[in-house]
Amino acid sequence: MKRINISQFYKGFNLTAFSLVMVFLYIPILILIIFSFNDAKIITGWRGFTTKYYLQLVENDAIKEAFRNTMLIAGLSTLISTIFGILTALGMENKRFSGRRIVSALIYIPLVIPDILMGVSLALLFNFTRVNTGMLTVLIAHITFCISYTVIVIQSRLEGFDYSLVEAAMDLGAKPATIFWKIKFPLMLPGIIAAALLAFTLSIDDFIITFFTSGRGFDTLPIYVEGTIRRGTITTINSLSTLMIGFTLFLVVITKRVRKVLISSL
Amino acid sequence: MNQGVRFTRDQNRKNLASWLLTTPALLWLLIFFLIPYLIVIIYSFLTPDIYDVNFEFSLDAYRQALGADYLKTFFLSFRLAVLTTLLCVLLGFPVAYYIARAKDKLKNTLLVFIIIPFWTNLIIRIFSWRIFLAYNGVLNDILIKAGVIGAPLEIMRTDLAVILVMVYVYLPYMILPLYSVLEKLDFTLLQAAMDLGANELKAFFRITLPLAAEGIFAGSLLVFIPALGAYLIPQLVGNQKSLYLGQVITYKIKNIPRNWPMASALSLILLFGVAVLLLLLFALYKRSKARRRV
Repeated sequence: MKRINISQFYKGFNLTAFSLVMVFLYIPILILIIFSFNDAKIITGWRGFTTKYYLQLVENDAIKEAFRNTMLIAGLSTLISTIFGILTALGMENKRFSGRRIVSALIYIPLVIPDILMGVSLALLFNFTRVNTGMLTVLIAHITFCISYTVIVIQSRLEGFDYSLVEAAMDLGAKPATIFWKIKFPLMLPGIIAAALLAFTLSIDDFIITFFTSGRGFDTLPIYVEGTIRRGTITTINSLSTLMIGFTLFLVVITKRVRKVLISSL
Repeated sequence: MNQGVRFTRDQNRKNLASWLLTTPALLWLLIFFLIPYLIVIIYSFLTPDIYDVNFEFSLDAYRQALGADYLKTFFLSFRLAVLTTLLCVLLGFPVAYYIARAKDKLKNTLLVFIIIPFWTNLIIRIFSWRIFLAYNGVLNDILIKAGVIGAPLEIMRTDLAVILVMVYVYLPYMILPLYSVLEKLDFTLLQAAMDLGANELKAFFRITLPLAAEGIFAGSLLVFIPALGAYLIPQLVGNQKSLYLGQVITYKIKNIPRNWPMASALSLILLFGVAVLLLLLFALYKRSKARRRV
């Protein structure tokens, strides 16, 4: 009898903690969304409803360009880092591969080093080699920090791989290429998509490494937003942020859909 | 015998294939991850120039970086990382526990709620706190209208705001690894301990906590290390009187007069600190695992 009471207290405590953390996590975001409709030019209390900052957003060329840059960098770095990820994960499948330790070290070390150090080291590399910073240097940087993630995600998918399928296909006389495209690739696909989505999100989200590797005149959205906040003209930032949150939610929903479709198609 | 030879030949072929497949990533990381650090090491021994570096050997950067000038910076960053990690464990544990013990159907939904902020753009999440905490912000507005306070609180641009937003941003990084160990935890062990007379508290400290150690380690790494090099959060919600390591490094690279040797030396000290920490944690983790087996 006594035990049940304590368990209930325990559960109540955890539920309370969970609810408080939810409030903590969502209040600022909710306020941001509500205040994107606030009719005020500076940070202030509620001054009335307006949608004019959303209209300003559409007319703002700098934002549109930053958006295009962000998507371009995210798309290209996702594509390239995912290809690196697929190749590396396939190479690492061989447990007796003599370069296993070296490759593992190079893949895992970037993950346990603060981001800012990658930014600093790439900034110095581009200075030392006198490469002009801009789109290309940002792309290089994004591929560099995405590789570790794509390799690990795709590798973890391959770890649970059922090799009896491959053996069965070989016994039936299938060619290696057929085995790869008909069996292995479809089974890897959910991992590849998860890796690509992760790389895409990381790329869109990155501020600090982009900050160190982009020159003047090449802004991604986070760089643009930070500059605008620093200059204090925040009118369009609320509405822009709200749209970006919407985009995130959209991504969450489609990932779930994509996953479901994939699982049902297998 | 014959078969043995063919076996090794087959393995050689496989090994070569593995090298070929991993070479693109290997080369890429060599050029854009490893070599840049060599340049950082070289630059840390050079003399600064207003816009660039002079290729003259000097130890000034290290002398200054390890001197009294930067003591406060190192202390602030270390304190921030420790406090953020501790608060994330304290807040994250009950949350992860709650999700791990929820019904299977509910679990995924609860996890999505934790992941959504994690997927929302970092800079937006930081910015939303500025709206909330600013002098003329929403929190002060509500508190004044409710008559709780007479004058606005100055939370924005303090070290407290920095810690608050750090916890906010890094909490999901703690909850997810904690959840993944707690989810695998065998709760009948707790039941057994209590049947044998242990109370809830004792069962928690003797069973749940040791078994969750792996998740706490993983989560702490994911929070502590980035917190040491934090730039954006202190920059956007902190003040210019207490500068954190990430800010100092960034200013030395971005602001004119530049001091790249200084930025390099500070970066390498940070890297060294992280390496020492990782080795320590790893040793600790191994020991705790060995002890558990006894």
